[in-house]
Amino acid sequence: MTQALPSTMLAAVSMGEKFVAMWPEAFLFITTCVVMVLGLSKSLPVRRMCAPLAGVGLIGAGLIAAAMTPDTLCPLPSMAMYGKVLAAGIGLVLVCLLAGTVDRDFESDVERTGWFDVIRSKRAEFWAFFLFSLTGLMLTAGADDLILLFLALELTSLPTYVMVAISTRRDRSMEAGVKYFFLGALGAAMFLYGFAFIYGGTGHTGLQDIQREVRAQVDAGGINELTMLGLVLAVVGICFKIAAVPMHFYTPDVYQGSSASMAGYLAFVPKAAGFFAIMLVVSCAGWGFGESRAELPGMLRDVLWIIAVLTMTVGNVLALLQSSVKRILAYSSIAHSGYMLVGVIAGPGLDGRGGEFTRNGLAAVLFYLLSYGVMTVGAFAVLACLERRSRDGEIEEADHVADIRGLCKTHPVLGWIMVVSVVGLLGLPPLLGFFGKLPLFTSAISAGEIPLVVILAINSAIAAYYYLRLAYLCYIDPPETSPNLAPLRATPFGSRRVAGMLSAIGVVVLAVVGGKLADATVTAGRYIPPAGQTQQPERAADDDAPTPEHVVAPH
Amino acid sequence: MLDTLTLAQASAPAPMQTGTLHHYLVVSALLFVIGLIGFVSRRNLIIMFLCTELMFQAAGIALIAFSRFWLNHTGETFVIFVLTIAAAEAALALALVVLLFRRKESLDGAKWSEMRG
Repeated sequence: MTQALPSTMLAAVSMGEKFVAMWPEAFLFITTCVVMVLGLSKSLPVRRMCAPLAGVGLIGAGLIAAAMTPDTLCPLPSMAMYGKVLAAGIGLVLVCLLAGTVDRDFESDVERTGWFDVIRSKRAEFWAFFLFSLTGLMLTAGADDLILLFLALELTSLPTYVMVAISTRRDRSMEAGVKYFFLGALGAAMFLYGFAFIYGGTGHTGLQDIQREVRAQVDAGGINELTMLGLVLAVVGICFKIAAVPMHFYTPDVYQGSSASMAGYLAFVPKAAGFFAIMLVVSCAGWGFGESRAELPGMLRDVLWIIAVLTMTVGNVLALLQSSVKRILAYSSIAHSGYMLVGVIAGPGLDGRGGEFTRNGLAAVLFYLLSYGVMTVGAFAVLACLERRSRDGEIEEADHVADIRGLCKTHPVLGWIMVVSVVGLLGLPPLLGFFGKLPLFTSAISAGEIPLVVILAINSAIAAYYYLRLAYLCYIDPPETSPNLAPLRATPFGSRRVAGMLSAIGVVVLAVVGGKLADATVTAGRYIPPAGQTQQPERAADDDAPTPEHVVAPH
Repeated sequence: MLDTLTLAQASAPAPMQTGTLHHYLVVSALLFVIGLIGFVSRRNLIIMFLCTELMFQAAGIALIAFSRFWLNHTGETFVIFVLTIAAAEAALALALVVLLFRRKESLDGAKWSEMRG
């Protein structure tokens, strides 16, 4: 009882801080409610306010998040702020990209007939779901409790199922939506079961409490089997969100079936949420409890290692076989998840406090999330900007590799956005992708994961083939005019082009100002190692050999 | 004296035996595995959805058992939230299934496989 008292008092103190830390989400939630109502208005100018208002909400939430420094009560206390600002920033580009994704045919009907049907309009749902999902992403970044983490992950993904299904009027989108939903529910059930076992093994749901309890278990001879089973199940379940190997099957179908702009959304938002969640869950079991100081506990590390290797290899090899640009980008999205998992395995480095950018794998993951988000949104924006009326009268976006042939000549701006984005995704030196990938390599090397680094390098080389193929098609190949298909024309939605240009500029400019970003990610990747029974807070930082009681690997 | 003792025992429940906990965990694992097998082997959309629901409830049973085992209410709180999410998911699933059924007049998931490769 005497032991329980301080922790409850601590909880009471932190409750107020917790609400303060949620101001960005609260602001975004209020905007969501307004957007939801405005989208149902009879007047077209009011309905058109939805997207700009969503942008305003995101700017506000981002500014609030940046103005505060909310340290959450978890092993990764500073990730919340970075994650929220990142969500708002990329969210803004996504607002531009998603313009006109739903009900453009409906809107033109309304303009022709002047008759508005609330039931058939989808604009309100779409933008409200968009904002709900980003609210979920922000909450995920700031979660300090398994319950909050579960709710935040579900808030991120539940709206996306509907957004995929309504993103176009084709049967394909329905198919994509239903596939995404069912695999998503399976993934959710899996990580929920994992969370249940983590709770069962430790008796807590607060991440800090779990970390302390796991530490005590390690000191007492080994991590409880229940806890370990829970951690593994949670990681495998969250693999659905990041499109990693055991749960990656849906990715190409869902990306191809939804509209290109929605695919760009799916490539960033659920993946970012998944990585925040995976880092939070893994941080409970801690880097620095394993056989060597910077390592994860045995079995968890093995599972993550296998997932990372399979994910990048499967993604890259299958991407070689595709003839649809969306599918290529989907498999590349799988491969990039594999790369980022390398950073998770490498951990925060020997200096557990963050320290150097090149040694902190968590900072590398956070930086990579930003650079991957910018680059992939650029590539999808190009596809979203090109469209044709197909024979059945529906609007069809560019998808086949033949569609982007000679794009630099026919649509120079779009062509160059594509070239810059895919070369960035490849990771060529002057561009952002290179600065994203470099710390993944260096942190893995300093963590002693040499085989993983070799596999990462081989995979980057495989990836060069299909990225360069896309760049080659745009830049060198002559434009192709197929007699069966109507020629592609630029979309009437100029903001999609703006989204593409913003991304392309980001790929170049963010690489130049990368130093500041690197500092931000190092702060965000600060990891608090648990105090052991010996009460040595500096344990992870000292250079002594691990003491024998830490040599535990429950298999 | 005896009365006060039983009262004290009633207000503070006895810790759960590990064996009892195992019984609950076995039931929960069975539910989870049945759900998983059903999800993989069946192609009817509604049955597949019910299977994911089974898996959610398996987690719920495990949470309640652990809650009783640790003698705190965190697990029970978690279950309430899980039920809420399960309800939201059910609403979403049924809406999607109705949408699909209207297009193809069938609940067979195999009919929705336009994209492959």
